[in-house]
This record gives sequence, C-alpha cells and structure tokens, in this order.
Amino acid sequence: MLESLSQIIWLVPCYALLGAMLAVPWSPGLTRQTGPRPAGYISILMTFIALVHSLLVLSYIWQHPAIDLSFPWLQAADLKIDLDLKISTVNIAALVLITGLNLAAQIYAVGYLERDWGWARFFSLMALFEAGLCTLVLCNSLFFSYVVLEILTLGTYLLIGYWFNQSLVVTGARDAFLTKRVGDLVLLMGVVALLPLAGSWNYDDLAQWAATTDLNSTAATLLCLALIAGPLGKCAQFPLHLWLDEAMEGPIPATILRNTLVVSTGAWVLVKVQPILALSPVALTVMVVVGSLTAIGASLIAIAQIDIKRFLSYVVSAYMGLVFIAVGTGQGEIALQLILTYTFAMAILVMCVGGIILNNVTQDLTQYGGLWSRRPISGLSYLVGIVSLIALPPFGTFWAWLKLTENLAVKSPLLVGVLLLVNLLTAFNVTRGFCLIFFGEVKPMTRRSPEGLWALVLPMVITVGFALHMSLILKQANLLPNFADINWNLSLVLIMSSLIGIGSSAFVYLNPTIAKPVRLPFSPVQNFFAYDLYTDKFYKITIVAIIDSISRLINWFDKTVVDGVINLIGIATIFSGQSLKYNVSGQTQFYVLSIVLGLTLIGALLSYSLLGQAF
Amino acid sequence: MQLQYCLILAAALFCIGIYGLITSRNAVRVLMSIELLLNAVNLNLMGFSNYLDPSNIRGQVFAIFVITIAAAEAAVGLAIVLAIYRNRETTDMEQFNLLKW
Repeated sequence: MLESLSQIIWLVPCYALLGAMLAVPWSPGLTRQTGPRPAGYISILMTFIALVHSLLVLSYIWQHPAIDLSFPWLQAADLKIDLDLKISTVNIAALVLITGLNLAAQIYAVGYLERDWGWARFFSLMALFEAGLCTLVLCNSLFFSYVVLEILTLGTYLLIGYWFNQSLVVTGARDAFLTKRVGDLVLLMGVVALLPLAGSWNYDDLAQWAATTDLNSTAATLLCLALIAGPLGKCAQFPLHLWLDEAMEGPIPATILRNTLVVSTGAWVLVKVQPILALSPVALTVMVVVGSLTAIGASLIAIAQIDIKRFLSYVVSAYMGLVFIAVGTGQGEIALQLILTYTFAMAILVMCVGGIILNNVTQDLTQYGGLWSRRPISGLSYLVGIVSLIALPPFGTFWAWLKLTENLAVKSPLLVGVLLLVNLLTAFNVTRGFCLIFFGEVKPMTRRSPEGLWALVLPMVITVGFALHMSLILKQANLLPNFADINWNLSLVLIMSSLIGIGSSAFVYLNPTIAKPVRLPFSPVQNFFAYDLYTDKFYKITIVAIIDSISRLINWFDKTVVDGVINLIGIATIFSGQSLKYNVSGQTQFYVLSIVLGLTLIGALLSYSLLGQAF
Repeated sequence: MQLQYCLILAAALFCIGIYGLITSRNAVRVLMSIELLLNAVNLNLMGFSNYLDPSNIRGQVFAIFVITIAAAEAAVGLAIVLAIYRNRETTDMEQFNLLKW
C-alpha cells in the first residue's frame, strides 16, 4: 500500500490545488450570506491530507531507493519535454516540511485573520503556494522548476497584494513581482542555453553532463551566472533584496510561509544545479561574495531596523546568504540541512511576532516593552526561536553551522570569519528584539496584551516542539557528526560568537543606564543601515531611471517619428488632392489647352526619333 | 515640293485656330476658331488628295464630308451659345467657369 502511495505522490500538489479551487466559492462576491470561514477549513483539510500522504510516503521511502517517475508533457519535432518526478528521502522530507509548515501557517491564519473577509482569496493563494512548493521539490527537471518558480512569483504578487487598498501594499507587491521576475528571466536564459549544451533538463542528466563536459570557460561562466541570477532574486540577495523588505506589508500568516519556504525555493534550485555551477570557478566566487555581502549587510541592516517584521526579514536575507556561501563552496547537503533547521526557527519567530502584533497593533519596536510577565508562551517560543536560529548547541541549526565552518576552515579561513560575524550579528539582532519586546518598561501600546487565541499559539508551540527536537530528528537522519569527530575549537568559537552576540545585546538593551532608543555616535552610519543602504534610492537613480527615460524616449519616438512618417504620407496625399483639384478650373479653354499640350507632348514623344533624323 | 507648302500653310492655319480657340473670350469667336481648324484640316485633305491620290481623290470626298459636318456643328454650336446667352446674358467664356472644383 505504501509503495502504491509513493507511486501517486504527485497527488500531493493536486490536493493543494484542489483546496485552492474549492476555497474560491466562498469569495464575498460569490457567497454573500454565510461568510468565508469554510474556505479556510477546506484548505486546512486538504493540507492535512497532503501531510499525511507525504508522511506515509516518507516512512516508506526511508528504507528504499529513490523512485523516478516521468510523464510526457510535450513532444514537438525534436523537442521532448518530460515532467520528471523524483521520489527520494530528501524530496519527500521537504514535502513533509512544506505541508507541515503550511498546515501550521493556515491554522495560524484561522486565528490571525479572524476579522477579515478575504479568506477565500488568502487560503486559495496559500494552497497555490503549497502546490507550487510541493511541485518544485518533487520535480526533477530544471525546466519545470522554472515553471513553478514563475507561478510562485505570480503567487507572491497576489499574496503580498492581499490588502490592496493600502498604497504601500501595492508598491510592495509590484516590487516583489518585478524584482523576482528579473531574476527569473535571467534564469530562463540559463535554462534555455542549457538544453543545446546538455541535451536534457533532468537534474540527474545535468549532473552527469557536468561531470564529463569540457565546456568553454567563458560559456560556463555566463551560463552559471544566469543560473545564479534566478535564485539571487528569489532568495532576496544583494542587490535584489529590497522586495523582501517591502513584502512585509502582506499578512503575517503568508509571511510565515514566505520567510521560511518561498525564499528557499531559489536555494533549492541552486542546490540542484550545483554540479553545473562547479564548472565555473568565477560563478562560485560570485556566489560566495554575494552570499557573504548579503549575510553581513543584511545582518547589519536588521540591527538598525525598528519595524518588528522587517528586523526579521533581513535575517532571512542573511541566512539565504549563508546558503549561497554553502552552495558556492560545494556543500549542497549542508545548505539543505541549514534550510531545514533555519525554517523552523524563522517560523517560530514570525509566528511569535505576528501574535504580538495582533494584540498590540503597533509594529514599532520602540513602542514595545515589558511583555514577558504577561506573554510567557510567546516569550519562551521566541527564546527557542533565537537559540535554534543561531549556533548554539544542542539546538538544530548549530550542527549545520558547525559543518559549514569545519569545511570552510580548510578552504578559506576568511569565510569562517564572515560566518562568525554573521552569527554574532544575528544573535545580537534577535536578542535585541527579544529584550525590546519582552523586557524594559511597559509602554502605552503594550499596557494590555493578552496571549493570543489557541489558533495562534497552537501552531507556534508545535513548531517550537519540533525545533527543540531538531537534533534528535537530525540524528535519525544520520546528519549529526560523531561525537569524537567534532572540532572542539571551532565549536567553541561558534558558541562564543553566539554568546557574545546575545550577551552584548542583552547588556545594551537590558541596561537602563543606556538611553533608549540607542543612538550611535555617528548617526549617518545608523541611518545608512536603517534605510536599508538607501537601496530604494539606488534603484530609483539607476535601473528605474534608465528604464523610465528609455521608455519615455521610445514613446516619444513612436508618437512623433514613427507615427509622423505614416501621418505625413496621409497629409501629403490630402494636400496634393486639395491642391491638384484646382486643375479643374471650369474654363473650357483651359481644358482645350491641356488637351493640345498633351497631344503635342505625345506627338513629340512618338516622333522623337524622327525629329532626330530631321536635324 | 508643292505639298509641303500646302501642309505648312494648313498647319499654320491650324495653329492660328488653336490660338484663337484658347484665347478668345467671345464664345462665337471660339466657334469661328473651330471653323479655322476644320478648314485647316480641309486644306490638308485637299493637298493630300491632289499630290498623293490624284486618281481616286478620296481626300476630296473626305473634305466634302468635313464641310457638311462642320456646317452642322457650327449650327449646333451657335444653338448652344444662344441657349447659354439666354440664361447668362453674356457670351464671355470667362463667365462660364461654373463647373470647377
């Protein structure tokens, strides 16, 4: 039975799609009487079915080799595009992670969107995301990965634009769509260029091809850079990172999904094409540099944020930067492990912050304080989020950090420094959030702050449970290092960096003698990071300005020159008609003159040769 | 070389007729110019029939036809001029430019 279930694993995305379609009839325009709640319940049911299916298949595939499925999609002339599915432990585990987290986010949304009418739209889109993510991890073909990435880009646009009567939501959704789209389009160039080179889009075939090919190094570099560009936009890496900041205008339950999984879609593709990326040392260097810059830059930006959602969104960019570093140094497995453990930590943090926003309205960190005594569950969950996010044993993410640093210590000690710095900064940042929200004086906005309803707390606490058991889960998957093999020096340095981050942050923000809000002695630096390196201005004066002026120029050219030439022909015809009609003078004698002149002319032409003979 | 002179005279007469046809303001003088044209043609016909076809003189037969047709044409022409004159009370060709653009 389990085997047949694994043969029909492709049903998992279909459940979600079915849920997406079934939720639609409860749109306010269609169901006018009974309210939108059944849409959410149906979607949750479908997600639950998908989760159970994935779990059953996971238990089967755990002891069995991977299964390859292939469905023909298109066959035209020499081109044959198959939808290849791969059912392996990693893929199904990712499936479980996606459906599980989506279940949590949807239950959370039941509580969070209590006073909202747009459930049909919201849950449809969440289900669409689930379907897309499931298809992405199942499909074993770069082409279909690209297809799904594009569908998810559209989904992001719609989901961020959920409350579209707010102007910042509209601009945020626009930026998210365009920024991710640019990356996707460059990725498309890579995907298209790959087919004539490799002859297949199947990831296994691509890996085989990459192992044996002797591709021209320039071609390899360009190809790999194109393949990186897609994930670069998806993972909100420098310089395509602004969209994630603006995407925080969307509803929190969607943010749970986006901050954890949607940004990881790029990383997933990146891990999958890693064998190809290995062809070009330049591309690998670019990845590592981009990842490092993003990780450090985003961590610094995060520390300077006062928006409770945005200080987490930059952590997302930073961690995706770490994934870039991991893939850039050829450690795809560790990248996946990092995504797994990071996902839980970030989900906890976002859920916790969302619950706090719901009851305190404000998102301004400086308006918070003193919630610890009244929000213990949120506080404890946040603490678990912190410790599972940074490198602190025995919690989950530490092991990924450790493996990463161990491997990097051999190759490039500089990157170890980057990792330590990022860890320290992230620890400082999330602890800062913790201290500002839960400690300090009670502020007017936080005077009355009850714990959230069960629907908000339950998914958070369950996720906390998973995060706390992450090390055991990793042990089951044989992902923990042997106790004897652990590099104690590196572990110690990592733990030290975490502790310094936490400690210094706690010292600054729990110390009443330091004035709040904290001002750096040199305020331009603080503003520089608080305004996100002025990225929006940078976009505006570079790419947006160029495209805008070129568009205006082309519009002008089209309206004057191109239209003008055609209009000129018409005008010339009208003018000639209007002026030539005066030949019809009404004078009979003038007509006779024309006839005589015409006849004379014809006669002269006919007798031209004779005239030549005469003289 | 008598034929050429005859033809040149006829051509000159024709050109004079054309000049009169185009420049006259009086409609009757236009008809008179047309008569000049026709007579120039008749001169041609006579010349050709004399010098090229003395035995059959088909040109002379043509000329007779032309004279009769010219008489009928002049009659109809004068009738038209009279009809116009009744309406417009003038025979000035420059007043007859009603059918223009």
